[in-house]
Amino acid sequence: MNLLFPGALALCALASLLAALPPARMRSALAGTVLAGAGATALAAGVAAMTGRTWSAWLPDLLPLAGVRLELDALGGLFTAVTGGVTAAAAIYSIGYARHAPRTAQILVPLFAAALLLVPAAASVSTFLLLWELMAIASLLLVLADHRARPAVRSAGVWYAVLTHLGLVAILGGLAAFAAAAGGESFAELRRADVNEATAIGVFLATFAGFASKAGIVPLHVWLPRAHPEAPSHVSALMSAAMVNMGIYGIVRVGLDLLGGGPRWWWLVVLAAGALSALHGILQAAVASDLKRLLGHSTTENMGLVLIGVGAAGFFEASGERALAALALAAALLHVINHSAFKTLLFLAAGSVLHGTGTRDLDALGGLRERMPVTTAVFALGALCASALPPGNAFVSEWLMLQSLIRSLPDGGVSAAVVMPLAVAAVALTAGLSAATFVKALGTGFLARPRSAEAERAHEAPPSMLAGMALAGAACAALALGPTLVLPGVADVTGQVLPGRGPATDGAYLRAAASSLSPVLIAAALAVTAAALLAVLRALAMRRARRAARLWDCGAGPMTARMEYTATSFAEPLQRVFDDVLAPESDVEVTHVKESAYLVDRVRFQAAVPDRIEHRLYAPAIALADRLGRASRGLANGSVHRYVGYGFAAFAVTLIVLAVTG
Amino acid sequence: MSDVHVQLLDLACGAFLLTGVLILWRSELAKIVTLFALQGVALAALIAVLGAHEGSAELLAVAAGIGALRAGVLPSLLRRALAASGERRETKPIVNVAASLVAAAVLALLAYAVCQPVIRLAPTPATQAAPAAMTVIFLGFFVLATRRRALSQVVGFLLIDNGITAMAFLTAGGLSPVVEIGVSLDVLLAVLVLQVLTTRMRAAFGGTDLDELRELRD
Repeated sequence: MNLLFPGALALCALASLLAALPPARMRSALAGTVLAGAGATALAAGVAAMTGRTWSAWLPDLLPLAGVRLELDALGGLFTAVTGGVTAAAAIYSIGYARHAPRTAQILVPLFAAALLLVPAAASVSTFLLLWELMAIASLLLVLADHRARPAVRSAGVWYAVLTHLGLVAILGGLAAFAAAAGGESFAELRRADVNEATAIGVFLATFAGFASKAGIVPLHVWLPRAHPEAPSHVSALMSAAMVNMGIYGIVRVGLDLLGGGPRWWWLVVLAAGALSALHGILQAAVASDLKRLLGHSTTENMGLVLIGVGAAGFFEASGERALAALALAAALLHVINHSAFKTLLFLAAGSVLHGTGTRDLDALGGLRERMPVTTAVFALGALCASALPPGNAFVSEWLMLQSLIRSLPDGGVSAAVVMPLAVAAVALTAGLSAATFVKALGTGFLARPRSAEAERAHEAPPSMLAGMALAGAACAALALGPTLVLPGVADVTGQVLPGRGPATDGAYLRAAASSLSPVLIAAALAVTAAALLAVLRALAMRRARRAARLWDCGAGPMTARMEYTATSFAEPLQRVFDDVLAPESDVEVTHVKESAYLVDRVRFQAAVPDRIEHRLYAPAIALADRLGRASRGLANGSVHRYVGYGFAAFAVTLIVLAVTG
Repeated sequence: MSDVHVQLLDLACGAFLLTGVLILWRSELAKIVTLFALQGVALAALIAVLGAHEGSAELLAVAAGIGALRAGVLPSLLRRALAASGERRETKPIVNVAASLVAAAVLALLAYAVCQPVIRLAPTPATQAAPAAMTVIFLGFFVLATRRRALSQVVGFLLIDNGITAMAFLTAGGLSPVVEIGVSLDVLLAVLVLQVLTTRMRAAFGGTDLDELRELRD
């Protein structure tokens, strides 16, 4: 019996109590320490579950009628382990970061973490839905933690609340229909059930929509770049690195595990949604100038990449190519782990920037390298990992994913011959754009000279925040250099999830693909090359005597910070290239001097890159809902007689219907 | 059930229904209260007839209690409120008297139609009189929806309650006395509360026309 998991939950509860009861100055330290312990325990519990030491519980009296059924199996264990790791880093970080946070927020963080740990362990429909809603509510309240400070928080909260609940309704409908058709609501019964095709299609599409909205998949992503930046940064890390994973978990659990695969077109839908999200997310990130918003868009991109892998896995499974399916799913799950590691690191570093300068606007930052050296170093590490370049960790999983997509080409049939090259192109384009995006984030945000007074006054974060970031950074480095440490575990999970089950997934491709690159060798080669290059340059420079001279500045005097590249100007060429896709809006307003139309008094320039999908899809829907709401006010004009009349009419009509039909 | 009993039951139900319709016809508030008291008498008689037929002392006691409440206590409370208000007539109902009577006829037809399934369940003389009770429920709703004065509203509310009570006795032989006492106390309390509200309304707005409250919404 694996007692680590209940231990982690108990520690979460203890952390929540410690955030509530002790005096204010000790709260964050006590709660953060205990929550970090809970995260570490959950990580161990998840790893144990992945290696076969599963855990299950059946609590019939906890909920009326349905009871609570929990089971931590290998797939759930992987997601629990990831959540545990993220929780540990975020908890240590929060000791310093959340010292002055409101008590409600401090109490809610451990509860949110517990809900995140429990969702992958739910083993019946009612338990799953309950925990899912608990997770959504806890995160919503945490997003709203700073609502007094910034009005934007409220709007973000409304967007998040509406979309997460629409998602819940879709999941609820899908799973309820599934349970009704299967004649039982525990996952074991659903797995055994033989539902007809129409029901299966309905269940898959409804749950896919719901889970996709949680994972921030286009076109249900609009809440993500709003809500994640507005939450406190350690909560952003939990949301962006752990909560969005639950959407992926749901799709894998319901689509591959409970429904047992399905026809190929399901997975083409998943793959297309993933490719669209990856491209849309990274394009929006490339032109974003708010640091945390950029990271939020990057989350959409990475979840899109994961869905490409999941879609390919389902597609190969339906085509009978079990080994390729295992490879694609392993790549997707490995990318989930990698993304969680570097996104935790990046959000924590962004929180450190916010803590040190008070702004998230990349255009107003710059010059943080001297003032915040540790934060700059860890952000650089995170940016390297996120940009899918060797020796970062995202490179490993994306490489595996490309391998699985490319290997399908020789004998995949027509749809594979059309879709897979497009998917490869999407992954490759995404990787290129993410490199540009994170070069922008690091270069304009941290290097050069400060462009505002806030950046000038920046100060380094306290040690606990640095320790949290260091932990996440160590995880990134370990994953980048030693992916073979986690790959066997991930491969075991894929073996158990794929509908065929059993050891049939022989892992030949996986071994071949994994052995086709050696991250340690790449890193070593890069290090050696860099050192050699430096040595050669140094040797060349030493041959001539050094002389000091002024930098060429076009003769215009010393360069000022206003001449630097900002995030907006750095992204401008990209914005031009993707002009037709992004449809940026710019507005020039010229005010003339009163006396003469030839003399200009003032020129005002405004530029924005609105989200086109949001503009085209959500604006009309919101306008329609608004019109309906206004029109329905006419029904309630304040007359008591009218209200009584409504009641009377409803009563009479009900009776008539009963009399006619009865 | 003997013929005499059926005749008496139908007479009581007829009186019960007729008083309900007449409340729609009269516009003097004092006459409306009198008609309401008469309806209370008819309701008590209806229950007494049922009790005598079944030889149940319990039902006779309930009949006496309901008679005292609905023909005695409630009308006297309403008269007191009326004397304090100085309003004598139901001016300008939302639907005029002639149209109200036509509507009452339509509602009676509707009640007969919707009660058919209930009658089919157990076709006794008592259940066959159930449509009269249903009609009074409808009439009560109609009074609530179309009359302006607060006192008419109270009477409309009490009409609904009379109808529900009659329905319970005609179709199910009545509720247990505990429930009946509870319901009666609720009705008494509701009337007292409404009386207080009426007084406050008059103090605040100088009248009890409910449409004066229209501006109170959000």
